[in-house]
Amino acid sequence: MKNWIGAFSVIDFISVGILITAVAMNALRRLESCVKAYTLNSWLLSSLIAIVAFMMGETHLYIASFVTLLSKGILIPMFLRRIVKQIKVTHDVDPYISNALSLTISGILVAVVYTSLKEGIFVAGFSKNVLQISIAVIFIGLFIMITRKKAITQVIGLLFMENGLFLAGFSLTFGMPTVIELGVLFDMLMGVIILGIFTIQIRRAFASADLDKLTILKG
Amino acid sequence: MQYFQFLIIIILSPLIQGTIKKLKANMQGRVGPGIFQPYYDLIRLLKKDMVISNVTSWIFKATPYIVFTSTVAASMIVPVITTESPFDVMGDVIALIYIFALGIFFMALASLDAATAFGGEGSSREMTVAILVEPMMMLSIFTAAISAGSTNISRIAGSGLIFSPSHVLALTAFLVAIIAETGRIPVDNPDTHLELTMIHEGMVLEYSGRYLALMEWAHYMKQMLLFTIAFDIFFPIGIANNVEISGLAMSSGIYILKMLFMAVLMALIESTRAKMRFFQLPSILGGAFVMALLSVLTYIMMGK
Repeated sequence: MKNWIGAFSVIDFISVGILITAVAMNALRRLESCVKAYTLNSWLLSSLIAIVAFMMGETHLYIASFVTLLSKGILIPMFLRRIVKQIKVTHDVDPYISNALSLTISGILVAVVYTSLKEGIFVAGFSKNVLQISIAVIFIGLFIMITRKKAITQVIGLLFMENGLFLAGFSLTFGMPTVIELGVLFDMLMGVIILGIFTIQIRRAFASADLDKLTILKG
Repeated sequence: MQYFQFLIIIILSPLIQGTIKKLKANMQGRVGPGIFQPYYDLIRLLKKDMVISNVTSWIFKATPYIVFTSTVAASMIVPVITTESPFDVMGDVIALIYIFALGIFFMALASLDAATAFGGEGSSREMTVAILVEPMMMLSIFTAAISAGSTNISRIAGSGLIFSPSHVLALTAFLVAIIAETGRIPVDNPDTHLELTMIHEGMVLEYSGRYLALMEWAHYMKQMLLFTIAFDIFFPIGIANNVEISGLAMSSGIYILKMLFMAVLMALIESTRAKMRFFQLPSILGGAFVMALLSVLTYIMMGK
């Protein structure tokens, strides 16, 4: 089994999959597909941790993998789907920049990250490429946050950033202590719930989930 | 024997087209024309007289020959059933892509030459797609070229199968490029003459008789060539490295299976997808371009 994982470079495939789901966020316009991309990203993250746990024989990582799957793979997407349904917006209309341009810029971001972190200085033992990919995911999440108008897409950008941070921490230290990880995940869950409620309130007050409309408040 | 492997593409390419059409018809619950129908069409067209608009210049008359011969030249470079390809000194992958570009360039000129509205429309659309597809094709081939250490297509095919994330990404981008280049759904609809949707058909609309036969045949050949290149570069399993009869027989059988697989894949995509709006194309082609870019980057980073 271990030989099989090594021979088919499963870890590389999963980490590239994490990157691709983040890049694909830039091409998606339907909010439901954005949530799906995030769900897939979290599942890949969870399975990566599980596979590393299996390869390295670190049993405590199984817990991290399971908690990730439960919170990021199931609970948060479920909640996001409910928000999408409630605010009755299916399309993330008129973003600041076009699809093709945002895809290209995210490609350039990946290139910048790869070239500036060319030599994996921090090697955690299972793969020397995961750190670059995780930093790229953080940047793409940030980019999604600054280019989208809808509050809900910005939340998804934040969640991508968090996935990237989690992966970065994991690749450097084999996972933080379980208590801290649980704390971060709980924080995340609460954050998403609060932001979701905010989104619904914004939608109710302005009849739109568009954050640009918030400037109307100015007397 | 290895001197004649390009004839396989010239002779069998209409058969691939017929197979795709038949499979597509079956998937949609129709009977469809037989798989030899493209041959009958070509023979019928070759027998017919031509109608040529009297405003056209020599470009219109030269284009069918240029398109046909450039495609034949391209098929000589590509190893079909053996990597012992004697003509591969003629050019590499980059030359191959520009030989294709030469054909597209003259087709666009010829369709403008006839001075009809549809011709101009078709050529403008085709050039837009070609501009988006070319860098994507280059980048995805570069991934394989870097790992094989050569841009020579026989050398790449001879270096064996490499299974890595970057190659999978490059293959995905290359498949999108094939769909765009061969004018299939979701980029172009090959079965329609509706002015709103046609790209390739708009370019050859003014041609008739022998010239149309040459253009269509070149199009079939290009399609089969692109399938062959995809397998040569990304999945060179079963292609013979020598010119012994047993090896060639084996590799011919595998080659037929590979082509059949591509035909099924194309028919499946065409039956399940809807044609995209033209102005949405940059987003799907841009996505594939970024994927090709990521494949090169990932290759450089991971070293595999």
